Amino acid sequence: MSLWVDKYRPTALGKLDYHKEQANQLKNLVQCGDFPHLLIYGPSGAGKKTRIMCLLRELYGPGVEKLRIEHQSITAPSKKKIEINSIASNYHLEVNASDAGNSDRVVIQELIKTVAQSQQIQSSTQREFKVVLLTEVDRLTKDAQHALRRTMEKYMSTCRLILCCNSTSKVIAPIRSRCLAVRVPLPSTEEVCSVLTSVCRKEGLLLPGELAKRIAEKSGRNLRRALLMCEACRVQQYPFSADQDIPNTDWEVYLKETANAIVSQQSPQRLLEVRARLYELLTHCIPPEIIIKGLVSELLSNCDGHLKAEVAQMAAYYEHRLQLGNKAIYHLEAFVAKFMAVYKKFMEDGLDAMMF
Amino acid sequence: MSKLSAGRKASSSKLSSWVEPSFGDLFSDSGLNSFRLKKGVSSGETESKSRKAAADIGGQRPSKRRAVSGLPEPQVPTGSELSHGGHDDPWVDKHTPCAQADLAVHKKKIEEVEHWLKSKLDIKSEVKGGAILLLTGPSGCGKTATVRVLTQELGCRVQEWSNPTTISEFRTEESFRETFDPGSRFNGFHGVSQTAEFQEFLLRANKYDRLPMLGDGVTSGRKVILVEDLPNQFYRQPACLHDILRRFVRTGRCPLVFIVSDCLSGSSSSRLLFPRDLQEDLGVWNISFNPVAPTSMMKVLSRIVIQEAARSGGRVVVPDKAALDLLCAGSSGDIRSAINSLQFSCLTDGSLETSLWPGKKGKASASVGRGVSRARSKSKACKRSEIQDCSQAIGGKDASLFLFRALGKILYCKRENCTSPEGPSLPAHLSEHQRDTLLVDPEVVVEKSHMSGELFNLYLQQNYLDFFSDVEDVARASEYLSDSDFLTAEWSSRSTMREYGSSVATRGLIHSNSARARADSQASGGFRPLHKPHWLLVNKKYRENCQAAQCLFTSYCLTPLSLQTELLPYLAQLTNTMRNQAQIAFIQDVGRLALRKYPGRMKLEALTDREPGTLDEDSEEEEEGAGPAVPAPPDTQGSAPGPEEPEGLHPALQPGPRG
Repeated sequence: MSLWVDKYRPTALGKLDYHKEQANQLKNLVQCGDFPHLLIYGPSGAGKKTRIMCLLRELYGPGVEKLRIEHQSITAPSKKKIEINSIASNYHLEVNASDAGNSDRVVIQELIKTVAQSQQIQSSTQREFKVVLLTEVDRLTKDAQHALRRTMEKYMSTCRLILCCNSTSKVIAPIRSRCLAVRVPLPSTEEVCSVLTSVCRKEGLLLPGELAKRIAEKSGRNLRRALLMCEACRVQQYPFSADQDIPNTDWEVYLKETANAIVSQQSPQRLLEVRARLYELLTHCIPPEIIIKGLVSELLSNCDGHLKAEVAQMAAYYEHRLQLGNKAIYHLEAFVAKFMAVYKKFMEDGLDAMMF
Repeated sequence: MSKLSAGRKASSSKLSSWVEPSFGDLFSDSGLNSFRLKKGVSSGETESKSRKAAADIGGQRPSKRRAVSGLPEPQVPTGSELSHGGHDDPWVDKHTPCAQADLAVHKKKIEEVEHWLKSKLDIKSEVKGGAILLLTGPSGCGKTATVRVLTQELGCRVQEWSNPTTISEFRTEESFRETFDPGSRFNGFHGVSQTAEFQEFLLRANKYDRLPMLGDGVTSGRKVILVEDLPNQFYRQPACLHDILRRFVRTGRCPLVFIVSDCLSGSSSSRLLFPRDLQEDLGVWNISFNPVAPTSMMKVLSRIVIQEAARSGGRVVVPDKAALDLLCAGSSGDIRSAINSLQFSCLTDGSLETSLWPGKKGKASASVGRGVSRARSKSKACKRSEIQDCSQAIGGKDASLFLFRALGKILYCKRENCTSPEGPSLPAHLSEHQRDTLLVDPEVVVEKSHMSGELFNLYLQQNYLDFFSDVEDVARASEYLSDSDFLTAEWSSRSTMREYGSSVATRGLIHSNSARARADSQASGGFRPLHKPHWLLVNKKYRENCQAAQCLFTSYCLTPLSLQTELLPYLAQLTNTMRNQAQIAFIQDVGRLALRKYPGRMKLEALTDREPGTLDEDSEEEEEGAGPAVPAPPDTQGSAPGPEEPEGLHPALQPGPRG
């Protein structure tokens, strides 16, 4: 039994649940023959990937769904071996080049070259190009992006690229201008609700409208998260009740507790405990950016008016540091310490004001 | 006159040989070649001269070589000076301590060693099995001297192991051929491995007493086995030594003393050879020596100087007290190097020059010699003052600090007690930044810790919170740490910025600790244990886990971010059976966070006294910073944890503060 997210994923452009107009346009794009490079962007959980897979199926038929996972090893000119995972069918290749870190340029060049150099077997019945799907393009280094630009032009005859990312701001302009950019926005709350309800119906479950709405709101309209939450609710309690708890992930609860620990006491010892908790989060694969973001949103809810601005400013400052710096813990800890100092001062001032 | 000129000529050729002894080979071996090259430019006369000179040099070479090699220890046996005899012996050997009072080691340490030796040598006590003593400490702190003096006083013999040199190297060609001769009776190499020889030595030394010889004097049955240099093989395979020691402990009859010097860089051999568990297992008694204290070193040095001055009758220039102080400071507790440099600095005026120009002082023209000496006496006054600087150059040992002490120096940040504020003080609105003068120089401390600034900062970051009491101070200190990390983030500029980074971190940390702003502030109370930084381990684990997540869950086709923050945590909450064993284990480990439990997943690893601060370089190298010029980011997957993993198990063995 696979996850609901995968089980009920639409596989054809016509079956998509929302943004139907856009789906139609994509369909037309496929039918009119000439297919450009695509840059598909939008927030996480909006259905970019689903849409791309539908598009590929529209292009090549059900053959694209026969996926195989490949481990490729590429030797860089510096004799360094790079291992990378890719997912491929006979017609396309999906790769997350940013996995290779600094060597992503080599990965992009090599992989696209190998794909582009082999022709389609039956070019009469099939499209004459293959598709390379690159995910997380915004995390590629500038080097790799420039290499990508060059490669795009060179192999246009045999290969099309579909780029997938969250935001185009980190994609260099030459690439943006060479692609047809398609934005996939988040579904509205109602759309999430309807998807949840229909999935539950297919599972033979009855989902109260109230609960569906709550899940949709809590998930932040992230459909993947909403479906996972819904499934977790099902595990927790069935039949559903409209006011049942929606399970949080462990790390969110943990982060909330950490924030509470920061607010409840401000001392070096407490900071030491907080540091241990931050380490714990990191070892559980929670990236530092997510940690600082989560902390800020929890801490802000404990702050008063003008303190909010100060805390947000601090957070922005240290997150910037986090991006530029090397060792995340310094900056996380500096943020927490700074918050403690500011908050303590604020509370003491407040107490003084109360006294007089 | 001709004689004089000849003498001059000889001396000139001699002088030239200082510069080019290595060209002697060239001249004699391929003199023809070089001669041909020169031919085009030089006339016939110079040609013959140069050839003559070449022959000259070639002929005199062997004697000159000897002179050159003899130079470092100024004992050149040149004719008339041979009568002085013992004068040129190294003072270290000459003034070997022969009584406990002469030792420059702390009394308590001597007592400790003596007590151990006595208890083990006591025949009446009849302790079963062999006992092992391990003496550690920096080089030149008197470990060997202590053992020798004590055994002498206790009246027992020392049987010492010395590494055998391999004999096969010196074999003649014939015997070499013999070994390969299939017809020979003694086929094969006769060499025995050092390890085997060592084992044999221990066995024999343990079992058999020395043959009673005539005129041996008192032969007591008691003896001590002393091992100072170990066969190299043991450094590669410590387990080999451990086996031998285990056997020895079972069957041994006499005490066995190991002397191992601490070293700052790289892996400490004493910890490699004698890990803690082995020490506990075999009851190895470990006594660790400290560097010789400046006062006792001064005592020894001035005693030697007085004795030498009296014996030599004015030939030895007695350095004044300031010079001795300088020597003491420069040697950083290494008494052997201190005595050596003392001897050297005493000799600079007299015998060194005489050994350099023996011809001039001897039979060559007196006028020349006198002129030189007069010039020297003129410059003597200024030379005296120079001695201080130059003796630092002579005896200055690279002072270094153990990490533990270096951290202490920064974190405890002792300040000078200046009662009269002479300099301009800060204006009133900045008075909170007023600090007393520091006793230590942070940059020097970091430099002496033999560590990169980043790694040192990590150690500081792990430990600084214990030393702060005010949150605002903490906020400022952490900001400085963050700044310093930011400075060194870019790999292309890292090599330049590294020093600034560590400077910002150390000085920022020291300054922001307002509780320790004054020399007399009370905050320094008590000893706090220091710990090893967690970050490296955490970061490694983070990367490993992320990689594992990518590998195990590729089929979900998710970006790492949503995989780690959405899918995995929810998978942990779902009852889903379509997964393989590895995935289930991983989800249990990573997807779940033990809530409300006090985070105790990682035990704090205490940093001990003598520990070198090296961690495996793997974890130190950051992925983001690695560019083409930087060594490739190493594959961290599956690599063994840091070398000091088992160290943290002994928090009880904490030493006292030394900051």
